[in-house]
Amino acid sequence: MASRFAARLLLQRLSTLRRARGTSSILVASEAPADVGGGGLFSPPGPWSALGPRCVSRVSFSTRPSALDERQNPAAVDCRSLMSEEEFHNLADETIHDLLEKFEEYGDAIQVDGYEVDYGNHVLTLKLGSLGTYVINKQAPNRQIWLSSPVSGPSRFDWDATAKTWVYRRTKAALLQLLEGEVGQLCGELISLR
Amino acid sequence: MLRAAGRRFLRLGLEHRAPTAAVAARGYHERVVDHYDNPRNVGSFDKNDPTVGTGLVGAPACGDVMKLQIKVDDATGKIVDACFKTFGCGSAIASSSVATEWVKGKHMEEVLSIKNTEIAKHLSLPPVKLHCSMLAEDAIKAAVKDYEAKKAKLTAGNAETTQTEKVASA
Repeated sequence: MASRFAARLLLQRLSTLRRARGTSSILVASEAPADVGGGGLFSPPGPWSALGPRCVSRVSFSTRPSALDERQNPAAVDCRSLMSEEEFHNLADETIHDLLEKFEEYGDAIQVDGYEVDYGNHVLTLKLGSLGTYVINKQAPNRQIWLSSPVSGPSRFDWDATAKTWVYRRTKAALLQLLEGEVGQLCGELISLR
Repeated sequence: MLRAAGRRFLRLGLEHRAPTAAVAARGYHERVVDHYDNPRNVGSFDKNDPTVGTGLVGAPACGDVMKLQIKVDDATGKIVDACFKTFGCGSAIASSSVATEWVKGKHMEEVLSIKNTEIAKHLSLPPVKLHCSMLAEDAIKAAVKDYEAKKAKLTAGNAETTQTEKVASA
């Protein structure tokens, strides 16, 4: 009861903040709780999980440096402005649908055994037969696109509003460029995804 | 989605006792099931213990949270014990369980080179579960980092105390 009231209060505060400052400005954790000590983070997903703001509530009331080097602080709290869920879904869906189309066209143009493009439940799967499988999906709570690659393994891309691309902070790789390079090399045929 | 599908297939296999090749291929790898049924090193160390490093990674909203703790021998820098607690899917549990097994007995510098790809290969994780192995790698690094931060703080604290004592006795 108390937590639901708190949730409503937080929501009100967030919407006031958003109205006051415009589209993007709320400081929230984009990824995870801090790695040092960090007590009290093991509460089961209760009323917060629907809002997904377990991260939000922590960072709204704490101050953290905004330029955290991800390489030294794996999965640590990172304050960046959080886009709205609707905006995220629009952006991410557009990117993934675009990829779906381009992969389908690509498949028609090349000859790779076992080439298959699958899209279900907002998860895009690109099978390249024995060359491996790519899985691309949305991770809404983090506002990220997650990629699993048979070449570079798992990576998580955040939207870079300045560059207008999805970027993996640890390696600074851009999603579309990465896929172009890897898929092009695996299948032996250039692919343009941008 | 795939997590649920995997579980469904596993259950199907057990119920019908004659899993088709398709079901067997989609189920969890036997090593993952083993770690799930017989997890190694589940538990907790006192995080205030100066020889303990705690790595806490992930977020409940995203589905996985891992807490991996290491107990380090100050003199040698070797990890003498490790334990974990993970909230998440079978692959996440298995990944962190494997991580605690692999760090035991190794030097702190050595465990920093444990890669998520090795964990994923050991458990035959499917593409969609590679993220779990990455989280396990992060947990190891976070635990080591925490221990080193604590040690640095303690050393700084001791240096200060010695300074104060010197001044007091002067």
